[in-house]
Amino acid sequence: MNITMNGRILEVQTGQTLLQVARQNGIHIPTLCYHAHTGPAGKCRLCLVEVGGMRGLQTSCTVEVKDGLVVTTDSDAIRSARRLVVDLLLASGRHDCLACEKNSDCELQNSAYELGIERPSFTVDSTADTDTSAEFVYRDNAKCIKCGRCIVGCNQVVVNEVLDFGFRGHDTKVICDDDLPMGKSSCVQCGECVQLCPTGALVDKKTVGKGRSWQLDKVNTTCPYCGVGCQITLHVDRTSNRVVRVTGRDIAPSNGMLCVKGRYGYEFHASPNRLTQPLIRKDGKLVPVSWDEALDYTAGRIKAIVDKHGPDVFSALGSGRITNENNYAVAKFTRAVIKTNNVDHCARTCHAPTVAGLAAAFGSGAATNSIADILDADVLFVIGSNMTEAHPVVSYYVKRAAKNGATLIVVDPRKIDLVRWASLYAQQRVGTDVVFLNGIINEIFKNGWQNEEFMRANTENPDDIREWVKPYPVEKASEICGVPVDTMKTIARILGTAKNVNIIYCLGITEHTCGTDNVKTIANLQMVLGHLGKRGGGVNPLRGQNNVQGACDMGALPNVYHTYQPVEDPKVAAKMAQCWGVSGLPLKPGYKIPTMMHKATTGETKILFCVGDNTVQTEPDMNKTIKEIKALEFFVVVDIFPNLTTEMADVVLPDVCFNEDDGCYSNMERRVQRLRKAVNPPGQAKPTWWIMQELGKRLGVDLRFTSAQATWEDMRRTATSMAGITYERIEELGLQWPCPTTDHPGTPILHLHGKFTRGKGLFCRTDNRPPAEVPDADYPFMLSTGRRLWHYHTGTQTRNSVGLETIFPEELLEISPVDAARMGIKTHDVVKATSRRGTITLKAWVTDRSPEGVCWCAFHFHEAHANVLTNSAYDNVTETPEYKACAIKVEKVSDGVPFIQTVQRQARP
Amino acid sequence: MVKTEKKCTCGGVAASDAENHARLAQVIQEYQNKPGALIPVLQIAQALFGYLPKDVLRTISEGLNEPYSRVFGVVTFYSFFSQVPRGKYVIRVCMGTACYVRGGQAVLTALEQELKISVGQTTPDRVFSLDVGRCFGACGLAPAVMVNDDVHQFVQPGQIKDILAQYRKPTA
Ligand code: SF4
Ligand code: SF4
Ligand code: SF4
Ligand code: FES
Ligand code: FES
Repeated sequence: MNITMNGRILEVQTGQTLLQVARQNGIHIPTLCYHAHTGPAGKCRLCLVEVGGMRGLQTSCTVEVKDGLVVTTDSDAIRSARRLVVDLLLASGRHDCLACEKNSDCELQNSAYELGIERPSFTVDSTADTDTSAEFVYRDNAKCIKCGRCIVGCNQVVVNEVLDFGFRGHDTKVICDDDLPMGKSSCVQCGECVQLCPTGALVDKKTVGKGRSWQLDKVNTTCPYCGVGCQITLHVDRTSNRVVRVTGRDIAPSNGMLCVKGRYGYEFHASPNRLTQPLIRKDGKLVPVSWDEALDYTAGRIKAIVDKHGPDVFSALGSGRITNENNYAVAKFTRAVIKTNNVDHCARTCHAPTVAGLAAAFGSGAATNSIADILDADVLFVIGSNMTEAHPVVSYYVKRAAKNGATLIVVDPRKIDLVRWASLYAQQRVGTDVVFLNGIINEIFKNGWQNEEFMRANTENPDDIREWVKPYPVEKASEICGVPVDTMKTIARILGTAKNVNIIYCLGITEHTCGTDNVKTIANLQMVLGHLGKRGGGVNPLRGQNNVQGACDMGALPNVYHTYQPVEDPKVAAKMAQCWGVSGLPLKPGYKIPTMMHKATTGETKILFCVGDNTVQTEPDMNKTIKEIKALEFFVVVDIFPNLTTEMADVVLPDVCFNEDDGCYSNMERRVQRLRKAVNPPGQAKPTWWIMQELGKRLGVDLRFTSAQATWEDMRRTATSMAGITYERIEELGLQWPCPTTDHPGTPILHLHGKFTRGKGLFCRTDNRPPAEVPDADYPFMLSTGRRLWHYHTGTQTRNSVGLETIFPEELLEISPVDAARMGIKTHDVVKATSRRGTITLKAWVTDRSPEGVCWCAFHFHEAHANVLTNSAYDNVTETPEYKACAIKVEKVSDGVPFIQTVQRQARP
Repeated sequence: MVKTEKKCTCGGVAASDAENHARLAQVIQEYQNKPGALIPVLQIAQALFGYLPKDVLRTISEGLNEPYSRVFGVVTFYSFFSQVPRGKYVIRVCMGTACYVRGGQAVLTALEQELKISVGQTTPDRVFSLDVGRCFGACGLAPAVMVNDDVHQFVQPGQIKDILAQYRKPTA
């Protein structure tokens, strides 16, 4: 159909609003309450237009097109009506533009300018207050035009459900919870409301006074924290060489949304604590030296030791924190220069079971679908993922889908915050996932809900699985996993009869001695349901670190080169040797981290070259790790901050961080996304690829790493599934592998139509195996560990940024109200937690997030570190440690400051 | 939070409070998943408890799966809802233009002094609550004061004591 707008005849679609049509055709209509993310509100009346045949002026953001409408978007009458709107808005607040942070970036100011308003014709002295209580968001209610964008954003976009309008008439204002100061409310400081606010009513507090928008350079890049890979813009003050603000970019995967870390945890790059020069241990002390000295010394020691004992005494660690280029550089150095496959990285501690388990079942060890697919599922099955804290932006999608009517099933031993949005919650006992899932599969078969057609057509052994789950009727499974029989039956029914199920899981599944089995069981479940190879379904592990997917893709693994080409395959080795110009590439797979470390104590590992891995703090059983590192002959650490690991090194080399060099990361949906240099590195810090190049040169091999891009190109020459991804192609939007050629569009969905990467899907047998250590009389509590919203890993980045530590200053031991009452423990009392391996002292948080008998803490604070307690027992296939289960005892040490809970806050007491 | 510890003086209240909560739980169950449930549930809750304390709002928020801020926003939007216990008699002093210019404020001040409470509060014996209103449509009789459904006209500060006395004395 057609409408006429300002005399132009325009083709339109049903359901479009006049505003949408105008925008699409480059016709400008000013707006305030409308935002593409929050939709039409019809509140501000700035978007007025004339519509033929309708009386008065109409709000173009709400009026839908009808065939033949005649619309005028500019006239004297319109302008004067719009002027009145802006005039009134200006008058009923305190719009001191000169002092306002939003000056030049404010939609109200822009409208006033456009309409030629110099100063408001009225003034009403606003008595509205400001709210400075929150760490990152500053609220100036006198600049609020009550457009409601922040409210829709908070409730419908990020679904944190904190804001609304309160009170009435002239007293109407935006409130947090029951009109609490924002800092005391359940707000998680994601900053979505700030990004949506058209005026200076909500601004980034830390940015106030740090520069006008036009004085700051904008650099597009990728968030350096978790594996969601949110797209961000850094606002850089060139004179001070600092990032002063971060905003979300309106493209996949995050569409403008961010979490508190991504938006506000940015100062670490400019921290005075950064490592800025190479250090060598001399007479027991780390002393600064030149790069030449450090590199000559390092190369010399490596050569001497390897010449004497052979290449396998050398082990290297890449990292899920560093770029693809740098992981490739470490892996290539290890293989091409040292000639060993002893290279691994921290996926070993998290998602190695995913890589192994999914590869066994489907042929590819990565997430099958895109993040945005979450909105297309009718059932979301989330197991072992505390996503509101560890992957906040994914949780926004999940919560939004649940609000829009999808059935959200949450399965977790802890009553995590996400449960608030769940239709169904099952609390399985720690470490009983296989039993729970087999019970569900059993029930699905019992009722004939399995997708027989999918199983027959696309899997190798559809009859086996039916047999294997026979010993797990729900009644029996329920006894072991603790989920009531009825709940299990309901879940089986919902899953079995759904149109499209998306299974999402995380480390609650993998970090167990049966981690690979857990993953295989999830794959079994989804192959029985058959929601694979289509939009909205799939098996989707949430990768933990910003680039843990990429570190795997780049071959920082002992058994594969980049893009998962097996080291044992002589053809692959020959191809690499030819391309790299080297000979004698080893065919034997290398050691996995626990083996590397263990072999230090037997003298079989003598050199550990560790990049971006705070090994002491991230491996389980810290005392054991320290012993192993002490047994090394030569220990090199490349990192951006001093930490417990650099303290033990013989050589420390200063690395650049995420905004000091170019490169790319691969996010959890296999999307390769650009990083860009935005600031200069501190002191003499250098990129890892440069360090590897220099060491290679000193050991006789030119690795051809002349820049980040050259390193990527070197990788691409022998890549298979990533060969088509170039910097040019991902300039704007990342590409998802497989992407074998430069004209391939990328692959949002793996195993399309059930055609698995390995041919046919393979069901694998899994059976109940309890955790390696279970509570007993001496150590009566089960301890599980993980991540908090406010911090990241060993805290080097979040604790060197401003504000996150104020919100969450120290680790807390979560304990159930029942246990706490029995032991006389209250929130903030000091307690001692002891396992067979060590003791930590920290404060308690009494919360029903913990079920009876289960405690929980994170590994962000070296002062009270979970890994002093955790067990190094590991998954038999992948050697991933059992971070999620060990036995501890808890004793109260002293009373804390009495604590009064005002509102149920998210992610903190 | 509702106090339940002083068994001797408010044991009866505590018992009925528990009943009220049980009833509220039933109501929430009935209304769950029905669109537009919030306002009717709030109305019933207010009828049960006499007012809407925060723990009741929380229960409703969790039970109906509505953001707490939304529940609070609705409660503060409608003057019908009260977050403080309401007295047996709700006194509303008109602050509309006519009443205001003819001495409404003085009447209000006198009431505040006499009752020792301010606007929005209730006397400790829960007999009177004090509120202001906007034009009762009785401008010719300004200043006007309403006590529950009774309209008092041409009220002067000096008359306050007498008016209150009418309600204080036990009803026959
Ligand atoms: S910062 Fe995020 S959670 Fe807090 S009020 Fe704004 S949108 Fe809501
Ligand atoms: S705070 Fe900003 S976004 Fe929210 S209602 Fe006010 S002006 Fe609109
Ligand atoms: S969700 Fe992850 S990637 Fe996104 S902003 Fe937060 S930490 Fe960064
Ligand atoms: S933009 Fe249309 S009414 Fe505000
Ligand atoms: S102003 Fe008081 S009744 Fe109208």
